[in-house]
Amino acid sequence: MAGIEIENLHFTYPSRNASTLGGIDAEVNAATFILLTGPTGCGKSTLLRTINGLIPHASGGKLSGSVRVNGTIVAEQPIAVTCQQVGLLFQNPEEQLFCIIVEDEIAFGLENLGLPSHEIDRRIDSALMQVGLPGFRNRQIASLSSGQKQRVALACVCAMQPQILLLDEPTSYLDPQATREILEIIRDLNKKLGVTVIVAGHQVNEIAPLCDRVWLMDTGELVSDLPIDQAFIDLKPYTRLGVQVPELAEVAAQFGYTERPLTLNHALRVFSTPIQGSNELRLPQHETPNGLIRSDGSSSEDESPDVTSASTPANPVDPDDVLAEAQRVVFRYPQTSVDVLKDISFQVKRGEIVAIMGANGSGKTTLLLHLIALLRPSGGQVIIDGQDTRRCKPRHLAGQVGIVFQNPDLLLQAATVAEEIAFGPKNFKLSRAEVEERLGEILPMFDLQTLKMEAPYALSRGQRQRTAVAASFSLYPDLLLLDEPTTGQDYYHLQQLMQMLDSTMKAQNKTVIFCTHDVHLTLKYATRVLLLHRGALIFDGCPDAAFADPERLEHASLVPPLTMQLRRFQNDTSPSSHENRPPRNR
Amino acid sequence: MIHLHPHTKIVLLAIVSCLVILLDSPIALLVCFLISLCFQASILPSWRQLRLLILFIGLGTWGLIYSQGIFYNQLPRTVIFTLIHKDVPVIGAMTGGVHLYREGLFHGAVQSLRFNTTLTISCFIIWTTQSRDLLLALVKLRVPYSLAFMVTTGLRYIPLIGSEAQTVIRSQRLRGFRYLRLNFLHTISGILNSLRPILTNNIRRATHLSEAVESRAFSADAATTSRTSLRELKTRRGDVILIATLIVCLLSVIGLKSIYFLYANGLYYASWLRGAYTFAREVL
Repeated sequence: MAGIEIENLHFTYPSRNASTLGGIDAEVNAATFILLTGPTGCGKSTLLRTINGLIPHASGGKLSGSVRVNGTIVAEQPIAVTCQQVGLLFQNPEEQLFCIIVEDEIAFGLENLGLPSHEIDRRIDSALMQVGLPGFRNRQIASLSSGQKQRVALACVCAMQPQILLLDEPTSYLDPQATREILEIIRDLNKKLGVTVIVAGHQVNEIAPLCDRVWLMDTGELVSDLPIDQAFIDLKPYTRLGVQVPELAEVAAQFGYTERPLTLNHALRVFSTPIQGSNELRLPQHETPNGLIRSDGSSSEDESPDVTSASTPANPVDPDDVLAEAQRVVFRYPQTSVDVLKDISFQVKRGEIVAIMGANGSGKTTLLLHLIALLRPSGGQVIIDGQDTRRCKPRHLAGQVGIVFQNPDLLLQAATVAEEIAFGPKNFKLSRAEVEERLGEILPMFDLQTLKMEAPYALSRGQRQRTAVAASFSLYPDLLLLDEPTTGQDYYHLQQLMQMLDSTMKAQNKTVIFCTHDVHLTLKYATRVLLLHRGALIFDGCPDAAFADPERLEHASLVPPLTMQLRRFQNDTSPSSHENRPPRNR
Repeated sequence: MIHLHPHTKIVLLAIVSCLVILLDSPIALLVCFLISLCFQASILPSWRQLRLLILFIGLGTWGLIYSQGIFYNQLPRTVIFTLIHKDVPVIGAMTGGVHLYREGLFHGAVQSLRFNTTLTISCFIIWTTQSRDLLLALVKLRVPYSLAFMVTTGLRYIPLIGSEAQTVIRSQRLRGFRYLRLNFLHTISGILNSLRPILTNNIRRATHLSEAVESRAFSADAATTSRTSLRELKTRRGDVILIATLIVCLLSVIGLKSIYFLYANGLYYASWLRGAYTFAREVL
C-alpha cells in the first residue's frame, strides 16, 4: 500500500506573488486516515492537488520541494499515471459529473486508461457495489439526489482502484444523513481495503472519529500533525484560527477533562469519571438540559419555549405582526407529476429568524423561492407583507424582500465590491450622499472595508458570500432569504456572518429565513424551525423541540448534535429519567 | 427512427442539407419539409418540444418572407403594397420608397422551406440522440476525441447556462434594476453586467471540470492513441436502407439537374431524355 512523503513543498500560483504552500514537510504511512483542517484559503485544496499531480501539471505556477507517492516524485510522472495511485474527489458533485448515464461517468476514467471493455464492465459493477449503489448503472445522473451524485463521483474514483484517496470537502453539499453515508463508505475503504485517506473539510464532528491523525494548516503551512488522541488536547491553535473542533472534545476541555472524546460512547465513558472530587457532570454555561447553546446565552428553560408543531395549531398572532404567510401551499413543477410542496401553511412574524431544514430535495429551496414570488403556488397562496404573490411580480417585492441564492456568484455583477453594494440603492434612486452613507454602514458591518475596490469574482468563496449578502442587505429588506449559507463556508466566517445578521436584523425587527442542514447553526441562531420531509411540513416550532424527536429528525435526514444526544442518553439511563428534573447547569 | 445510428442521423442531415440547396421548385422543397416533419412526428415529441419547434419554424418563416418581401432586388418584381412612399420626406427620398414585392414573398417562402427542413431534421437529431452516442459517432468519423468531447460536453451545459442567466437577471430585478428604460445606455450596461457572473461562473466551472477529467486520466494524447470504449454502436438494417435511399435520392437529383443544365445551356441534348428534362424543370 502507498505511502506519501512531502518534503519542503512550496507552491505559488501563476500571476500571484505570495506562495500558497510555504514549506510543508510530512509523511503518511499506508492505510492512514487523515483529517486536514484549517481556515478557508489556508492551502488545503492546493496541498491535495499537489499530491495527485494536478499541480503542477494542470496548473502551471512555481513548485519546489517534492511529493513522493510510493517513492516516485509525482511532479515527474504524468497525471494519467498518478491518478491510478491517487484518486481525488471534489466538493461539488455537479461540477465533477459530466455524463448523462451513471455507467458512462464511471467508465470515462477506465476508457482513458485503455482498459478492455470486459474489465471496464467488471469495475463499474464493483465500484457501484462499493458505494452502495448496485442497480444504478443505467440511471440518469440528473435523476439522482445530491448524496447519490456524490456517491457516483466516489465510484468514479474507486473504479480507478487508487491506493490513496484524497477528498476535498466531500460532504459540504450534502445533508447530514448523506454525509454519514459517504463517510461510512470512506471508512470502509480505509479499514477494509487499506486505502490511505486524506479528507480536507470543516465538518470535524463527523470526520474526526474516523481519523488516525489530524493535520492543521494555516497560511500554507502545516501548523500541527498529531495523532487523533493528542490532536485536540490543546484547542488554542484551532480557536486562534477560527477552526471548528469536535463538540464533545470542546465540552471535555471546558470541564477540565484530559481525555478528548469524539464519539458518544467515548464521551459517556469519559464523563462518567468524576473530576477532582466532583461526582456530577457540569454542562458549560449557556448549555441547557437539551444541549441547546444559544448565541445570547439564554436557555430554552429561561424563555418557556413556544412549541408549535405542524399538527398543533399555533398561538394566535397579531395580523399586523405577520410578515410572510403560506396558506395551504401546493406546488408542482411543470410537466412533472409529483407535488414538491404539499399543503404547507405557516406564518412568519417580524423579527423572527427561521431555519428551513430537511433532506436534499425535500423542497426547501422551492419554498424559499415562493417567498419572493419567483415561483407561484399551484394551489393555496403565499402572502408577503399583505401582497398575494400570485398577483405580483418579483420586482414588486424588490427592496422589501432580498435573497441570496446557494451560488452567490450569480448575484455578483459589478466591477467592485463597493459598486455591488451600491447597485440596489442606486436602482431605487437614492441620492449619492445616501448611497455613500449606506456603503459606510454596510462595508464595516460585513468586514468588507478593505476589499471595497476589489473585483467581487476575484475574492475567496467566503468573501464572495459576504459580498452577496451585503448587496442584498443594502436595500434594508424586511425579509432576507438565504439559501444554504453554510455551503463551502468555514466555521469562523459562518459564525461571523450569522452573528452579524442575528444582531442587525433583530435590532431592526427584520426577518431572516434560511435553508440549511447545519443543526448547530440552527440551534444557535434560529428562533424557529420548519422541518420539511418530501415536500410536507412535518414540524413548525422552536429549535430545541424540533430536535427532541429522533424519528422526526431521521425523516428530515438530520442528526442532532452530539452534546444533545449525550444529554438525552444520560437522561434516559438515569434512574430519575421520568421525573421533571431541574437543569443540571451550575 | 429514435434508434437510428448516430452516423445515419449525421448523414441524413448532410444529405438533406445538400438536397434543399440543389432543389429550386417549391413543390419539391415542400415535399422535403413534409418528410422532415414525418421524422419529427415519428418520435412523438413532447408538448414542450412541439411548442419550441413551432416557435422556431414560425419565426424563421416570418423573418425570411418579410425580409425577402421588402428587400428582394431581382427583376422583374411586382409591387403589391407600399409601406413608405417615395415622396415621404427624408426616408422616402433616401430609399426611393419601401415596397412589398410579390416575387420577394414567393422567394422568402422558398427560402423558409429550405431553412425549416434542415431545422426540423436538426431538432430530430438533437432530441433523439444521447450525447454519449453522438460522442462515439463523432469519434468514429475521425473527429479528434478531445474535440468531440468538448462539443458534446458543451451541449450538455447549455440548459444549465440558460438557467444561470435567468437567475442573474432575476437577481438584478430583485435589486430594483429594470432593463427596459428609455435610457439605452442603462439597458446596455445592465446586459453587460449580467454577462459578467455568467462568464465568471462558466470559467470557474470549466476549471473544475478540467480538473475532474484530468484526475480521471484524460489527456488529449491518450485520447487519440490508447483510449478504449465500453460501448460500441451497432448499424442496423434500417440504417443501411435509409442511407442507401438518401444516397440514391441525392445522386438522382444531381444527375437530373446536370442533364437539365447541359440541355438548358445548349451543351448536350438527347430526345430520349425529354421526360427527364420536363421532370427536372417542373418538379426539381
